Amino acid sequence: MTDAIVPVLIATLGAGTPLIFAALGELVTEKSGVLNLGVEGMMLVGAIVAFITTSATASLWLGVAAGCLAGAAMALLFAFATLTMQANQVAAGLALAIFGTGVSAFIGKNYVGVALQSPPASDASFASAIPVVGPLLHALHPLVYLSWLLFAGVSAFLYRSRLGLVLRAVGESPDSAHAIGHPVIRVRYLATLFGGAMAGVAGAYLSLVYAPLWLEGMTAGRGWIALALVVFATWRPARAVFGAYLFGGITISQFFAQGAGIPFASQAMSALPYLATIIVLVLISRNPVMIRQNAPVSLGKPFHATV
Amino acid sequence: MRIVTRRDFLKGASSLGVAALGGRAIDAIGQQSVLRVGVVHQFPIGEVGWETQHALGWKAMEAAFPGKVKTTVVTDVVQAQDAERVFRDLASQGHKLIFGTTFSQMAPMLKVARAMPGTTFECCAAITTSKNMGAFEARNYEASYLGGVIAGRMTKSNVLGWVGAFPVPQVVWRLNGFLIGARSVNPNVTCNVIWINTWNDPAKEKDAVNALISQGADVLAGSPNTPVQGIAAEERGAWSVGNCSDFSKYVTKRQLTGDILDWNSAYVEAARDVMAGTWKSQSRWRGLGEGGYCRMAPYNAAIPGDVVADVAKREKDIVAGKLKVFAGPLKDRDGKQRVAAGAVLPDNDVRSISWVVDGVKGAFPKS
Repeated sequence: MTDAIVPVLIATLGAGTPLIFAALGELVTEKSGVLNLGVEGMMLVGAIVAFITTSATASLWLGVAAGCLAGAAMALLFAFATLTMQANQVAAGLALAIFGTGVSAFIGKNYVGVALQSPPASDASFASAIPVVGPLLHALHPLVYLSWLLFAGVSAFLYRSRLGLVLRAVGESPDSAHAIGHPVIRVRYLATLFGGAMAGVAGAYLSLVYAPLWLEGMTAGRGWIALALVVFATWRPARAVFGAYLFGGITISQFFAQGAGIPFASQAMSALPYLATIIVLVLISRNPVMIRQNAPVSLGKPFHATV
Repeated sequence: MRIVTRRDFLKGASSLGVAALGGRAIDAIGQQSVLRVGVVHQFPIGEVGWETQHALGWKAMEAAFPGKVKTTVVTDVVQAQDAERVFRDLASQGHKLIFGTTFSQMAPMLKVARAMPGTTFECCAAITTSKNMGAFEARNYEASYLGGVIAGRMTKSNVLGWVGAFPVPQVVWRLNGFLIGARSVNPNVTCNVIWINTWNDPAKEKDAVNALISQGADVLAGSPNTPVQGIAAEERGAWSVGNCSDFSKYVTKRQLTGDILDWNSAYVEAARDVMAGTWKSQSRWRGLGEGGYCRMAPYNAAIPGDVVADVAKREKDIVAGKLKVFAGPLKDRDGKQRVAAGAVLPDNDVRSISWVVDGVKGAFPKS
């Protein structure tokens, strides 16, 4: 039994990881009241910049760092347009997604189909001594652990720290936050940059660890999934992580089901992760009070300091 | 040769149209005998993959007629409606031979070919031709059959794995050829199949490979344009049979072989015939052998000599027409007889094939 489940679990953890990075990043951004729909674009730019860096330096971590910075740079564009220039966030976010898709294809032109010569190996050998969980932990990439750390960090930051409280206040009522002296625009800038950086890491994970190779549009809609996860998880980190693993788990399970010869149309199976994730998250989050309490009230609304 | 992206191309074709026209006029007077050829790629040309094999084709054409053909290559023409515009522009700029590189360009090309009767068109994987539009396609089930023979002899678990993009005939006939080959040497072999329903999601390909290996498959094949499947299989210590390009540069240890697309003669012959004025519209569908559209990647040194000899003999028989891959008796997965003993599945039925042979496990979408 464990023989059958362990590979599914390992694959699920791998498949959920990019979604966790992107969704938690976006969650922090949205909690500050900024709706950045450009996650897909930021992920793609992160993916190609990370890929180029790693293929030049043969260092996984330099690649991840570069992807992180590239994602943040994309977010900076968005932040400048929407926070400084007060452009419409929805329009600017969509533009960012399209722009990111195009610009990543452009800079990645010479890297299409090029595989990294030796995929950077994971190094978690310390774990393999533990029985049962050992092989599981050993098979996981350090970035998977990092995504767990990110989850712990984001939860602690949002709900256990003063800065997190400020960020949430900015997202709820920027006017009140401004009135008591909090730098609304600066907080929103930082939250947006953080979201971009995490989207960049998510992209880097895809192109460096998961695939590992660069293809135009290789995120294949994961940025949009991450966005949806944030909403359907009612802006709560634990639920976003749960949703990410649910999505990954169903994706993987349907592969195992197909491979095992279960006669069910593969097209329907491919649609299953999207349907199931949304249905489950909507069901567990359907309490309207909860939604109202967790949704950032000023989401997507520009802030203009009047005083 | 000049590679332009769609944007460059449209820019050149529209805003600088007048200047370009002037340039063309001089071109036409100065180099009467040069055949201008247009090639339209759907995606960028990478190191390996579908587009790369086409690029090798038109490069071979340029090498075969030095100074006599001038190629304009347009890449990143993703949408069919863009392809129509690009075809039209290329034709009106004086390109006398225009290649489409993918099935989805067939419909726009048919339209443009009707409007531009003085231009010759060739479309890869097209299933329809017209007066001035020909088609070419690879019978690569012949190559995947040979890959299957090797897979059938190398598997220890008697379970093969196949990751398919979409269950379109081009993929299904390769899958069937692969399994027919494997079962011709090892009747106990079955093949688990996963359809990922996307052409370009390498992460999903890898997940599917891992799932198949976890379920016991020890030789992996499928319809990837990328080395991802081979790399993922190698990580887990499984064999793989490549497809499209030779992936041995990436899958250094555990690629058994692969079926490689080779369009060189398609491009060279079309250009030759157009220049000689002997071009005729036809649907060229070729497999292994001299001037064919597919060939085998180098065989892994781990394959025993007698297997290599057997495969070589079968290859000769296929080229000579003595061995037919879709020869009866063939049953489909549900046990229904599809080809009677002594009969061979007609070409038309292969080209529209929508059933999988006995031994395939996994969901197969009805069509």
